Amino acid sequence: MPRLSTCLAAAFVATALTAGPAVAGSTPAPENAQVYIIWPKSGRVIPGGKFWLRMGAKNIGIAPAGVKKKNTGHHHVIINAKLPPFDEEIPSNKNYRHFGGGQTEARIELPPGRHTIQVLMGDHEHIPHDPPLYSERITVIVPPQTSEAGSTGTAQ
Amino acid sequence: MNRIFTGALVALCLVAQSAAAGETPRPRNAYLYIGWPQDGTVITEDEFRVWFGLRNMGIAPAGVRKPNTGHHHLLIDTGVPPLNEEIPNDKHHRHFGAGQSETMLELPPGRHTLQLILADHEHIPLNPPLVSQKITVTIR
Repeated sequence: MPRLSTCLAAAFVATALTAGPAVAGSTPAPENAQVYIIWPKSGRVIPGGKFWLRMGAKNIGIAPAGVKKKNTGHHHVIINAKLPPFDEEIPSNKNYRHFGGGQTEARIELPPGRHTIQVLMGDHEHIPHDPPLYSERITVIVPPQTSEAGSTGTAQ
Repeated sequence: MNRIFTGALVALCLVAQSAAAGETPRPRNAYLYIGWPQDGTVITEDEFRVWFGLRNMGIAPAGVRKPNTGHHHLLIDTGVPPLNEEIPNDKHHRHFGAGQSETMLELPPGRHTLQLILADHEHIPLNPPLVSQKITVTIR
C-alpha cells in the first residue's frame, strides 16, 4: 500500500513537471519577485467608485511594453475576471487593462457593486513570466449612489 | 530705459530658469511622492521598505528613451542636486535604473531625510523637474 501511494505521488510529480513549461511564458521571472496590490486592501468600501490602484512589485523592475530588459515587466489589471492563460498574450479589453506606459498606479472607475481586482505582470510582449507573477485577488465594494452624493459616476 | 532694463532682466530670468532643468519634457499633471514611510515616521526595524509613488507617468529603466517615462532616484540626507545635469551616484543619491518602484533601506539610528526625484534615460531631471516632498524619518 505505501508502495502504491509512492507510485501515485511519483506519477503526479511527473505530470506536474511535464505540465509546467506549457503554462507559462518564456521570460524568466527573477527569483523572489512578487507582484502585489499596495492599495486598496481587500474588502475596502469605496464611495463613488473612483480611486488610484497602487501596484507593487518586489525584486523586479518596470519597463514599458515593447522594451525587452532583463528582470522587468509591466502591470496588467484584471477587473471582475479570472487569470488568463499564462502562455499567451494577456487580452486587452475592459476586464484586462494594460499599463504598457510603465505605470505603477492605475486610475480605476467602477459602478456600484462588488468587484474583484488582481494584478498580473506581463513581459515586453504582454505574456506572463515563468513562473507567472500575479497578486492576490482582492474585492472592493462600491456602495449604491445616494442623491446627496452628487452627480458623478454612472447610475445603475 | 527703465522698461528696457526690466525687460532684459525678465528675459535673463527666463533663460536662467530654462537652464535649471533638463531637456526631457514630462506630463504637466505628473505627481511624484513617497507612498511609505510617511513624514515623521519612527522606524524600529533594521530595514524598512520605501514605496515610490508616481501618477500620470510611467517607469522605464535607465538607458530606455520613451515619452512620459523616467526612473526613480532617492535622495537621502541631502538637498535637490543641480537640475540640468546627471544626478550624482553615491550613498546620498541612490539610482533605481532597473525600473524599481520600491526599495529596502537600512539607515543608522537618528533622523534622516528622504526625497524622490525622477530623471530621464540619462539620469538628468525632467523639465519641469519632478520632485517629491522631502520627508523626515527617525530610526531608533
